[in-house]
Order: sequence, then C-alpha cells, then structure tokens
Amino acid sequence: MRIFKNLRQAFRGLKLNRGNTLLMTIGVMIGIASLTVIVAIGDGIKYKVLNRIANLGFGPESFSVIAGGGKMFFSRSKNTTSMSLQDAEDLLALPTVRMVVPRQRKRMQIINKKEFTNTRVYGVTPDWQAARRWKVVDGVFLSDADLDRRKKVVVLGATPVRKLFRGSDPIGKMVRLQNNYYEVIGLLQEKGLTESGYDPDDRALIPLTTSISRLTHQTHLHSIKVVTLHASQVPETMKAVTQILRRNHNLSILSEDDFRFITPEGIMQWVTESEQALNRMLILISTVSLLVGGIVIMNILLVSIRERVREIGIRRCFGARRSDITLQFLFESVLVSLLGGVLGVGLGLLLSFGLKRFDILPTLITWEPFVLSFFFCMLIGLVFGIHPARKAAFMNPEEAIRS
Amino acid sequence: MNSICKSYRNIGFETQVLKNITLHINEGDYVSIIGPSGAGKSTLMAIAGCLAQPSSGEYILDGEEVGKLSDRKLSRVRNEKIGFVFQAFHLLPGVTALDNVILPLVYSRNPPANIKDRAREVLAKVGLEHRLHHTPGQLSGGEQQRVTIARSLINNPPIILADEPTGNLDSKNGIETMKTFDKLVDEGKTIILITHDSEVAGHASRIISIRDGEIDSDTKRASSSVTEAEKL
Repeated sequence: MRIFKNLRQAFRGLKLNRGNTLLMTIGVMIGIASLTVIVAIGDGIKYKVLNRIANLGFGPESFSVIAGGGKMFFSRSKNTTSMSLQDAEDLLALPTVRMVVPRQRKRMQIINKKEFTNTRVYGVTPDWQAARRWKVVDGVFLSDADLDRRKKVVVLGATPVRKLFRGSDPIGKMVRLQNNYYEVIGLLQEKGLTESGYDPDDRALIPLTTSISRLTHQTHLHSIKVVTLHASQVPETMKAVTQILRRNHNLSILSEDDFRFITPEGIMQWVTESEQALNRMLILISTVSLLVGGIVIMNILLVSIRERVREIGIRRCFGARRSDITLQFLFESVLVSLLGGVLGVGLGLLLSFGLKRFDILPTLITWEPFVLSFFFCMLIGLVFGIHPARKAAFMNPEEAIRS
Repeated sequence: MNSICKSYRNIGFETQVLKNITLHINEGDYVSIIGPSGAGKSTLMAIAGCLAQPSSGEYILDGEEVGKLSDRKLSRVRNEKIGFVFQAFHLLPGVTALDNVILPLVYSRNPPANIKDRAREVLAKVGLEHRLHHTPGQLSGGEQQRVTIARSLINNPPIILADEPTGNLDSKNGIETMKTFDKLVDEGKTIILITHDSEVAGHASRIISIRDGEIDSDTKRASSSVTEAEKL
C-alpha cells in the first residue's frame, strides 16, 4: 500500500533527522502538557467547590441566611452583629417555614487534660440535627432541656474525638472550652474527609444558649438556617425573610441588606457561572498553547525541508509523485505531534500529580485530556504540516537534485 | 521500446538554454553527450529524464508524448523507464545501501514479491553483496557509485541516464564504473552518458557534442562494436 510505504518513509525521515524531530516533539509536548495540567486544575477546582457545597448540607427546601452583606461565600463583613435570636423567632412565625436553626460559630481550642486541638465550635439548637440529617452514633444529641438550662454539654465530631481521646470512650468525660468544662454527651457519625481536604467531622456542638452566655458572650448570630415546608416555597419565603430582617434591623430603603442568602439554587447558579468562566479561560489558554506547538512544528518542518531538498529531489527522480512527498511529510508532522501529545499527556499527568501531592493546587485527572490531546495532535499535525508538505512536493525536482 | 524521438524548440527559462535540438536515440544505443559547462547538457539530461519539461517542442519516449504528461504519469515514467546515476551519487544519507537501492521500488506500482532479495541481487551484480548494511558515509566513493548504479537498475528500466558518473571518482574506480556501463549495454540497456571527459565519452558508440544549446556534431563510431566483436 502506497500510504503505508510513505508512512515507513516518514518514520525513517524522523529517525534520521533526530534533532528536528526532538525540537518539534518538545514544542507539542509543552503545549499538550500545559493543556493536561490546566484541565486537571480546572476539574480539581470544580470538584472542590462542588464538594464544599455538598457539605453545606442543603436540601432543596432549605436555605441559609448569613449575617453580613455580600454575595454567597464572599462576605463584606460589616454589620455582622445585627442578626439576633429575635430574628430567628420571627422567621419561624412565617407560615411557610417548618424549622429554623440559629447558629453561632467560633473557632477555638478544645482541651482534654493534656490533649488539645483546634476545632470549630457551633452554638446550635436541637433542630440542627433534623435540618442537617446528621446521625448520632453514641450518646444523645442536644435536647431542649439542655438549651433551656444552658447546660455545659457538648456533642463532638469524629475528628476532635480522635485527637482528644485516642481510642478511650469519650461519653461522660469532661472537655474544656475556654474556662468552662463541658460534658461529652454524644458523638456525631463520621463523614470522612472530602476529596478537597475539607473535614466535616472537625466540629463540636454546644447549646446555643450556653454559647451566648458562656462562650462568645455575644447575642448576635452567625447564621440562621431556614427549612421551608416545600422546595417550591423557597423564593417566596426568601422575600418574606428579607422584609422581616430589614424591618428588624431598621434598614432604610437606601441601605443595602446586612445579610445574605445561600440557597441551593444560588449555589447551582454560582457554580455554573464560575464553571463557564473557568471553561472559557481553559479553552483560551489551551488554544494558545496548541497554536504555539503547531507553529513550532510548521517552522521546524519548513527548515527541515530546506535541509532535505536533495532527499526530496532524489525521491522524485526515482518515481515519487507529488502526492507521495506530500504524504510523507504530512505523516512526519502528524507522527511527531502524536508523539509530542503522548509525551505531553505523560508530563502533564506527572505535573498534576505533583501539584496535588504537594498541596499546591487541587487537580483531578479525567479521561478528557487524553481524547482531546489525541484529537488536537492529529489536527495540529495536519493543519500545520500541510503547508510544508505541499512546499516540498511542489519543489522543482531538477533544481532540487542539483542543490 | 522502438525509438526515442526528441525534438525541442526554444527551450529555456529566461535565456534559451537549448535551441531547436532534434535528436533521435534508438533502443540499445550507447550515447554520450559531451560539451563544455553551460552548453546545456544538464538541461538536456533533465528533459530526457522527465525531471523538466520542454518549454516548446515535443519529446516522445517509447511512443508516448512525455512533454504533455501530468506529474503523476511523469513520475511513473521516471520510476519505470529511467534509471539515474549522478555525479554526486545522491544517496539518502544515513540509510543503508540496501534501503537506498530499494527506494525506486517504494514508489513502484508493481514491485516484486520479495523486495529485499531483488535488492541483494542487484547489489551482488555490482559486487557489493558484502556492504548491504553500510550507510553511504561508511562506503568509499567507488562503492557509493556502485550503490547508485544498483539503485538505477533495481526497477529494470530500459534507459540509464548517467550524469558525469566518473566525475567524483579516481581513475581506477572510474574505469570500473565504465566497465559496468559497457556490460549494461551488452544486456540491451540504452545508456545516455553526460560527460565532459572525452576519454569517458569514447566508451560510447555514438558521441553527441553540444555547444551553446545546439548540437555541434553527432558521430557514430564503429570502434566500440569492433571491440565488442573482439571481446566475443
């Protein structure tokens, strides 16, 4: 077969012109490697964000009201002291609201004799468990009695348990937060580290009233989780919540909200938007890097052809048609870019693993870069090889042989 | 192949390199074309070898008007009917003698079943059976020229076009090469030899002298056939 013969000649040409082959391969390799790494980073970030959102524990019928204006996770952190228990009570009075969970949050040291660790301490109401649907594996959850009596009791997540008790039974033991001792009454089921490194088990829960009077010594809330009766009621409930909170906080018509919502829908929209922006950036960067690789191939192939004028002349003398020469050089270009692609994906995977291993950036390896690279390499080889190949084929054989 | 008839008119690029050359070469002829440099020998050779086409006039090879053929058909003519031997050898660098010799078969429409055997056969014919896997860089000038002759023969073309085949060789190797050509004529090949060395040209049975793009003289010599007769 003519095609296979020219393919063999192309292999031989690449082998004999090692220097040029190497340069072209490196050109494509770098392009593809950066493509692979960029896609891996993009996927990694996407995964991390989705994971964090999943860990917020949202059902479709619930949303959170966070103190402080701003958007989603990005707080402008002003007026953060305005949300009160009264707000929570007023929200619960709304006809569409099934449950509210007011919450305080503080990061602090938790101590058991000589063992200590830093964890997130939340002041919550007993409804928290129902809203989050988080099981207690040992002991009991906070009760209304605990809340009423401001009892110094704590429910621990798996991470502080492991760090403070090292295998011994923590139920009934006393742990210290600031200057007060709290009795451990329950253990939360372990959820495990997420891919992104977020640890949902790293938490300790105490009654909200205890938190207000003994821990934070402040009455304002960090957030209120609102659970509606049905998912379809979320928008109208949010509208009502806005009215109540603005009125309670004495906001004039001109001033902005001093609270923000995190809703399942808002999260999805935010994710979609950031994903689209990210994808646009990925496509742009990849196109540039692949274009660079292609131009490298074209230029080196053009130089190579100038060096190999005589070879082309000889081939033409002994019966190579223009199409034979075109095919040979096109094959050389495609082979080199495929080789560069394979090496580039390899290098890219290595870099991606490295970035993840040393916690520089989150990366996620998917099958997409492989397929994409293969496809793009073929395309690069063809698009950027055709010009040099045609140039070689249309050389005057008489002049070529005499050069 | 019955006859080759060539006639050119106003051949040239900007200047006329060949002017109204009319030439008829028969099958089995042993022709040498001589002339000073710049006389148009090489252009004539390029046209004869189907590497270039005349700007006017016609070139009939084996009953086929070559001047009007497409690149595809022209390539096939080069592949099947003409074997080139060059002054500078023009072997592919870094490629073994065997693979160099195989080159014309790569582009052949109907190559023999066992290409390598055929290549070994022609290399043995020029006495290089012990140099099959050497690259041109590892071969002497004489050996390289023998590889090029083997390459020109592998497709068994009726015509051998040799451009200054002895130009890069010492006299001993030059004589060897000429003996090879003499043998090929005996086998019925048509040989067109381009040279400026009258001694080399003397091997041919017909000497065409070119000057300034025109045929200066065209002499047929009986002496060559006499020596053939003596040999026999």
